[in-house]
Amino acid sequence: MLCAKNISKKFVSRGNVVPVLKEVSMDIAEGEFVSIVGRSGSGKTTLLNVLSTLVQADGGKLYYQDENLSTFSESHLNRLRQSDFSVIFQFHHLLPYLTVLENTLLPFMRSLSPVGKDALRKARQCLDRVGLADKADRLPGNLSGGEQQRVAIARALVKSSKVLFADEPTGSLDRATGEQIMGLLSELHEEGLTVVMVTHEPAYARLAERVVEIEDGLMMKEST
Amino acid sequence: MNILTIPLRNMRRRPSKTMLLLLVFSLGVMSIVALYQVSLVVGHSLEKKLTAFGANMIISPATEKLSVSYGGFHMGDMLVDVENLPEEETVLAIRSIELKDRISAIAPKLVTMTKVNDIAVALVGVHWRDERGIKSYWAPRGEFPSASDQVLVGSQAAAKLGLAVEDRVSIIGQDFTVSGILHETGGDDDTVIFLNLHTLQALVGRSNATSFIEVAALCNGCPIEDIVAQIRGQLPNAEVKALQNVVNQRMASVRFVQKLAFSISLVILVTATSMVGLSMLSAVNERKKDIGILRSLGYGKPQIFIIFCIEAGFIGVLSGLAGYLGGFGASFKALEFLSLSDGVSPVFSVAHLLLACAAFGLITVVAAVYPAWKGAGVDPSTALVAL
Ligand SMILES: Nc1ncnc2c1ncn2[C@@H]1O[C@H](COP(=O)(O)OP(=O)(O)O)[C@@H](O)[C@H]1O
Ligand SMILES: [Mg+2]
Repeated sequence: MLCAKNISKKFVSRGNVVPVLKEVSMDIAEGEFVSIVGRSGSGKTTLLNVLSTLVQADGGKLYYQDENLSTFSESHLNRLRQSDFSVIFQFHHLLPYLTVLENTLLPFMRSLSPVGKDALRKARQCLDRVGLADKADRLPGNLSGGEQQRVAIARALVKSSKVLFADEPTGSLDRATGEQIMGLLSELHEEGLTVVMVTHEPAYARLAERVVEIEDGLMMKEST
Repeated sequence: MNILTIPLRNMRRRPSKTMLLLLVFSLGVMSIVALYQVSLVVGHSLEKKLTAFGANMIISPATEKLSVSYGGFHMGDMLVDVENLPEEETVLAIRSIELKDRISAIAPKLVTMTKVNDIAVALVGVHWRDERGIKSYWAPRGEFPSASDQVLVGSQAAAKLGLAVEDRVSIIGQDFTVSGILHETGGDDDTVIFLNLHTLQALVGRSNATSFIEVAALCNGCPIEDIVAQIRGQLPNAEVKALQNVVNQRMASVRFVQKLAFSISLVILVTATSMVGLSMLSAVNERKKDIGILRSLGYGKPQIFIIFCIEAGFIGVLSGLAGYLGGFGASFKALEFLSLSDGVSPVFSVAHLLLACAAFGLITVVAAVYPAWKGAGVDPSTALVAL
């Protein structure tokens, strides 16, 4: 479904060229749950951002449903991010001045035409699904970290995303909340969602069907 | 809920910042509107005041000059067919033109020559009120005439004729009292004797006759040529002339006031607009995270651009509304304070209000174009570094 071939990415910092990804290749099948592990600074976030099209690779090719994404126009990529791909960051998922419900509906607020009734109903359902139905009208500032994370997951569900990219979704949460989020992700995966997750926690990585380890921008080993 | 929700909610998040920006821009708009209104009224009243320093149009009977020489003997230029302008009809005709509102004073005159105490002197018949309306610089020793048997004497004429205030003088067989003697004006007024127009007309047996009529017109907002043309249309047999240098001097003063107001407005506008622009620029930097989230949700550059522009435009429209209303009110206070209104007051217009809102909205959007463009150009990956 999603296929990366020989992806390389360099960053220039303080005049030095730092190669962060060196010819990384990976294949993600539809409905798969893959986790990416590795030490801090090894390039996990960068790889995830390249896969989710938020960062452009310097070399290599990225295919989604057999289409070469490097040939996609900006607006084509935008459409992909609107519908098929969803990203959950470690922090800061929400616009602080919009309510939980509005944050969930952000993908549908791109134009002057008001958000439709169907989207609204679906957003409430998804918030219910992540256990936040009663907090729909709160501002994110009043929510705990785990709750904010769940709003971001609800938003991915409203979009009917096909692939969910999550960058250390439990990194900033306490154990119990982290487990809750992981439970939710496993559930969604069971329902058919493709999940690509970066994590530090070996225990959570084991929930995935496949674990990919990255070290210094190189793919080290895969285990299933 | 649509794309407008995002900038509007963001403005509400920082009420103090938004209010401050609104306040500053509203004050800017308010000053500009007040300056504009005051300059309009001041321009108008200034010109009106300037008309007290003389007419800017002269209407005289059409004359034909003929250079006569006969049998080798040159007799000089002769005026053919010197007629008088009928006072009543001419004044009525001037008052009936389409631009009659622009006429601020009409001063008819009859000029004749006579001998007083065996010395030749010109007599000028005037209506005191009209004449003084265009000659505010007149100042007499003694009093202005208030009865028909009183005269006002120019300073040189008084010296030549040996006249003093309260003297009695016989003019064309009728006795008059000198009620006042003009201080020197440096003009033609110094050498003549002024008396009531109707008295002079009766005295010389030419009732309703005038030699010429001076007119003071307000040229602010319409060219004097139009007024001249309209009077010509009403009086085909008269010669209507604009005193261009007087007109130009006056318009220069009025325009100066308006240019001054315009320059100050421009400075205020540039300052207020820069404030909006700067504040948007810092907002873009503060909100890189927001941009990253929106970009990851499929918002394109145009949408990011629009969100920032709308936010700025909203401030412009609101400030336009508040500033216009405030400025309108302030202009009354200012005119009252400067005691300048002179019966003219600013005119409220809904069209102008809407125009102000639209114009200031547009200006703030323009001020936000660069910050918004920067925001739109933020690469999702750099925006994500902040995440
Ligand atoms: N935008 C960037 N500019 C410069 N260097 C970057 C940028 N993003 C990441 N890096 C560098 O790339 C390396 C890998 O970063 P990252 O992918 O975030 O690692 P991880 O998520 O595994 O901790 C780090 O050394 C980091 O400093
Ligand atoms: Mg990381």
